[in-house]
Amino acid sequence: MKKIKYVFFIITILLVPFNAFSQAPLYQKCLLCHGRPGFKKMLPDGNTLELFVNKSELEHSIHSKLHCTDCHADVMEIPHLKTPGKVNCYRCHYKDNPNGALPANEFFKSIHGKLAAQEDPKAPHCQDCHGGHNVQKVDSPLSTVNHRDVASTCGKCHKAQYDNYIQSIHGTALLDRHIQSAPTCTTCHGKHLILKPDDPEATIYALNVINVCSHCHENKELIKKYNIPGGRISTYKESYHGVADEFGSARVANCSSCHRAHFILPQNDPRSSINKANLAKTCGKCHPNANVNFTKGKIHVNYKSRSTGILYYIGMFFEILTMSTLTLLFIHILLDLFRRYKAGEIGKKTKHGD
Amino acid sequence: MEVRYDNARDTFIEALERHAIDELGIRDNPELIDLVKRLIRLETAKDLDILLTTKLKKVYKLIRKEQKLKARFVNRKQWEQETFQRFNIYFRIQHIMLFTSVIILIITGLPIKFPESSASKILMFFMGGIVMQGILHRVGAVLLIAFYVFHTGYTIFNKDGRRDFIALLPGLKDIKDVLQMIKYFFGLSKEKPEFERFSYVEKFDYWAVYWGGIVMVGSGLIMWLHNLTLRYLPKYVYDIAREAHSDEALLATLTIVIWHFYNVHFNPSRFPGSMVWWHGKLTKEQMLEEHPLEYKKFIKDKEGRHGS
Repeated sequence: MKKIKYVFFIITILLVPFNAFSQAPLYQKCLLCHGRPGFKKMLPDGNTLELFVNKSELEHSIHSKLHCTDCHADVMEIPHLKTPGKVNCYRCHYKDNPNGALPANEFFKSIHGKLAAQEDPKAPHCQDCHGGHNVQKVDSPLSTVNHRDVASTCGKCHKAQYDNYIQSIHGTALLDRHIQSAPTCTTCHGKHLILKPDDPEATIYALNVINVCSHCHENKELIKKYNIPGGRISTYKESYHGVADEFGSARVANCSSCHRAHFILPQNDPRSSINKANLAKTCGKCHPNANVNFTKGKIHVNYKSRSTGILYYIGMFFEILTMSTLTLLFIHILLDLFRRYKAGEIGKKTKHGD
Repeated sequence: MEVRYDNARDTFIEALERHAIDELGIRDNPELIDLVKRLIRLETAKDLDILLTTKLKKVYKLIRKEQKLKARFVNRKQWEQETFQRFNIYFRIQHIMLFTSVIILIITGLPIKFPESSASKILMFFMGGIVMQGILHRVGAVLLIAFYVFHTGYTIFNKDGRRDFIALLPGLKDIKDVLQMIKYFFGLSKEKPEFERFSYVEKFDYWAVYWGGIVMVGSGLIMWLHNLTLRYLPKYVYDIAREAHSDEALLATLTIVIWHFYNVHFNPSRFPGSMVWWHGKLTKEQMLEEHPLEYKKFIKDKEGRHGS
């Protein structure tokens, strides 16, 4: 009889893996209803809620190996009576998770996360950007948050900014000319830790804007490769705007004050804020009564370049004047000391002590 | 009992006197010893009971003050007789205005010239940020402009001012003096050039400030009132003003720190500096050393006045 006990035990052990895979039909079961195209629900306010789940989308997502209830954990029976709650990605993507994507702990520090925590209905959760059933790896071409498509994802809510961005030099470079180095929303605003512009921690806070722009506009390789004008950051830093920015004045103009944040266009574009025709208006935002005089002369002045004309020669004049004057004065001082040394004046106590 | 008490009092006062005399080191000055004794007796007579250390300190303080006053009085008589009033009160006020404003302007201006230096960050921190720096720099600017207005008025309306301005005009003698000084430096001549009221060094300083002031005040005002100036002038004029302001500021700072400080502070016969800027007087020795021709003129004028 002892042997029979062992046999039962071994059979039980062997059955465990089958139990584990026995949820596969459940996946199929959900799709019995949700897999039907046009499966939807009428809401009390008259809108319809799309409840259809595209099976192929689900099978090609990064979560293809998961089961419906892994995410929709509150669904306990079929048919489910209650409306399932919002999916909580942190069930798997918790801190120090050894496998799977790293969790975005920064998210709850961001403005999106803070509003989500306050249960603001407009605030986005993970799935609003990364996608629900179609969630993909970030670098996948199918992902909603890859470098090319993240702008349209953000644009779902931030419509005005998106409209400006797709017309800007950055937007056209990325979306029309397919230049992968061109920036998109997340390049400047950050990914999970997106903060309001008036937050000093934000990447786009007045004092931090220069760091964001210098990422590409100070990058010699990119400047050379795409023939973008160089020396923009260094000349800004030399200007009074740049100096005041360096010393922490958030009031002073930074890159985006003149070039705008989303609708950035090259100078020769008539819509550009820095087009000669619009420059007086742009400067006039801070400088009352700014007129056409603001356009006479360069804004990004490189004092050390011959191309700045008279300024270069004035700088040179002062350089020569300073050098020659100080050299002569220094020689005079040295000769004076030499003479005093010869006369034995140095080393003795001096007479005039008043 | 009475007698013994009196003796004790005298003994105490004598001990106090000895202590005070030792402490002040005036053993061989009978006049001051007398003074100390009188003061101690005066103080002790008031209230012997509370004559403690604090009281004693007060006595010492009084004595030291008296000593100083007396020494000054003695020196003053001598001083008045042996010195020459080289700079009048207006001259000295102008110099004080100039150096005060220039020091303020240099300290508040340097961080703007070198914004990325950590020293600038420290300076800026102590000034209280860029807004405060702007205010302080403008305070210095107003003082500097006030100085130029004062100086122009002085040059036009004051007799000494007119005389000084003419004396400051460069002439042929300055070139001769420079050549003579070079000869003297190299030991080719034993004679130093004889200077009039202003040596070529002082003339250089004056005209350097004159030129520098026009550049600094002019370019500074263009920048200060940029919203006004840019209404009438193109932006490159502003850029020129900025470049000139920055470069001339550095030239002026270096000239002051190296040249002027050497001439008036760090050279061996002046170190660590004199009080001429305060009283405007030079002794006979200094006059003969530095401005022999002016000294001769002083003497001549004095004799002329006595003669008439």
